[in-house]
Amino acid sequence: MARGQGSGWAPGGGARTCVAFALLLVLLAGLLVANLCVGSVAIPLGELARVLTHPEGTQTATQVVWGIRLPRLLAAGLLGGALGLAGLLLQTLFANPIAGPFVLGISSGAKLCVAMLLVSAAGTMGALSAWMTMAAAFVGALIAMVLVLAVSARTTLASVLVVAGVMIGYLCNAATDLLVTFASDANIVNLRNWSLGSFSGTAWGEVGIMALVVLACLACALALAKPMGAYAQGEAYAQSVGVDVRRFRVATILLSSLLAACVTAFAGPISFVGIAVPHLARRLLATARPLALVPATFLAGSVFCLACDLVARNAFAPTEVSVSTITALVGAPMVVWVLLRRERGDVA
Amino acid sequence: MSARVDAMATSVPLHVRGLCAGYDGVALVRDVNLAVRAGQVVTLIGPNGSGKSTVLKTVAGLIPAVGGEVVLEGRPLGQLSARERARSLAVLLTERRRPEYTTCGEMVAAGRYPHTGALGILGQADRDEVRAAMELVGAWDLRDKDIRRVSDGQRQRVLLARAICQRTPVLLLDEPTSHLDIRHQIDLLVVLRRLVAEREVGVLMALHELPLARAVSDWLVCVKDGRVLLEGTPDQVFGSKTMEELFDLRPGTYDPVTGAVRLPDVVGEAGDA
Repeated sequence: MARGQGSGWAPGGGARTCVAFALLLVLLAGLLVANLCVGSVAIPLGELARVLTHPEGTQTATQVVWGIRLPRLLAAGLLGGALGLAGLLLQTLFANPIAGPFVLGISSGAKLCVAMLLVSAAGTMGALSAWMTMAAAFVGALIAMVLVLAVSARTTLASVLVVAGVMIGYLCNAATDLLVTFASDANIVNLRNWSLGSFSGTAWGEVGIMALVVLACLACALALAKPMGAYAQGEAYAQSVGVDVRRFRVATILLSSLLAACVTAFAGPISFVGIAVPHLARRLLATARPLALVPATFLAGSVFCLACDLVARNAFAPTEVSVSTITALVGAPMVVWVLLRRERGDVA
Repeated sequence: MSARVDAMATSVPLHVRGLCAGYDGVALVRDVNLAVRAGQVVTLIGPNGSGKSTVLKTVAGLIPAVGGEVVLEGRPLGQLSARERARSLAVLLTERRRPEYTTCGEMVAAGRYPHTGALGILGQADRDEVRAAMELVGAWDLRDKDIRRVSDGQRQRVLLARAICQRTPVLLLDEPTSHLDIRHQIDLLVVLRRLVAEREVGVLMALHELPLARAVSDWLVCVKDGRVLLEGTPDQVFGSKTMEELFDLRPGTYDPVTGAVRLPDVVGEAGDA
């Protein structure tokens, strides 16, 4: 047998992966600074450095940076990464390029449960704890997920799955609207703001919870990188090389639901990030190796949401638009582009 | 005694005894007995829907056996962990997934799954195995090509390399030559014979094409109506008249000796008009 002359096979594209990660990190750093500096109160770079190193000051700049912009940009970064990662997990699970937490109705399920909680509990206890909102969103996401899985068990058609997901989303939204119609005025104000999707008004306590949940999910997703790679080659094949397919599916479902729930609980429904970002990351890296793709998708999601939030805050200043508006404006054409490109690839 | 058992386990890595294979506890195929020796190709033939794939999936442990047992390297399949099983038996199924942004080399490297650590990072030994497997099937030149940009014949060789680099004593192949033209079918089977000769692997496969099955196999098992109709060396099987019964052929339409097919005369309706 012709043993390789010394070297053996080596995965290609290592340089490309490094360049892609460097690019994402540079973009991330740039956007972090831009998000801190740009806004209704402009903060020059020199002052930003001083404010960041002296958080105890009482000037406007200090309060804007520490009280408003820093928690908000951390939320955008963490939740953007969470959305990208949820999309990647769902696309792997369903072997479907346009799967995502929003398309499959999972975000809407989470939204419905949070709305129910807001309406039913707002009267009895003042402010809801962030953990309770989170838990309600998780329950909603899981219920929607179970419905989607029930559909996917009965069809092998990718299009049917997506249509079913969109319908589940509409059903949940209709139920949410119904709830809003009969809710008291005070509750509606809260609900309206939140149901548009926004990173504004994030508190430090919430950032802590987000970081805990999202980073734990990221670590779990990295630990799943090996079976993810095998699963992408086919379910039966994955089973044949030793993947416990049932356990892998359950883990993927729980992780993506938790991520989508976290986003919905703290920022409301944010569309199209989950579908578009994994494709961007794949294209940037030109690889589907999960060990590289998982962190790259997370970074790309952060970059995407930080950029969209920057636009949402400043493009129409002093009016702020919801970040979901911007992500849809950018993300929707991107999804169409991805589908067209894939179609060409399949024919070739 | 135990030395003899060990020797048996290596020379006959796969035993199938009284296997009943099917779904949800209902057997589609009953009482299959097989022994696949190292360096031997055993081929299941039979009409579509006769349950060849079901037998293969059961032997691979992908679906539970309805009855009987599969013994892999001297141990019952049920006693093996998923990882142990994957180190003893590799499969090439009919799943036709072509993942995005995946090179042929990465595709093959997936076969190292049962040998790598928790994160699946390849070591030097793994990379050597990937290269050796790709060279064996003549796909080394494709290593950096996207799997979506190669022909069906090339893809099939890549998938065979993926199974080979798993380094198992047993290979299961389900219709490895379907959708290939005759040249690529022959190429693939030549590779298979080379593999069997060089690495002493035992192969169990299902094959549609009778002439190919005859040429490549050491032992043929004919499956029909949920049972084994006939088995033997290719010469024994093709020498018998059972071949016509196996495929419900009209006498004279198939010549088992040459593999020639003769179509019955067709009386056209146009002639009457």
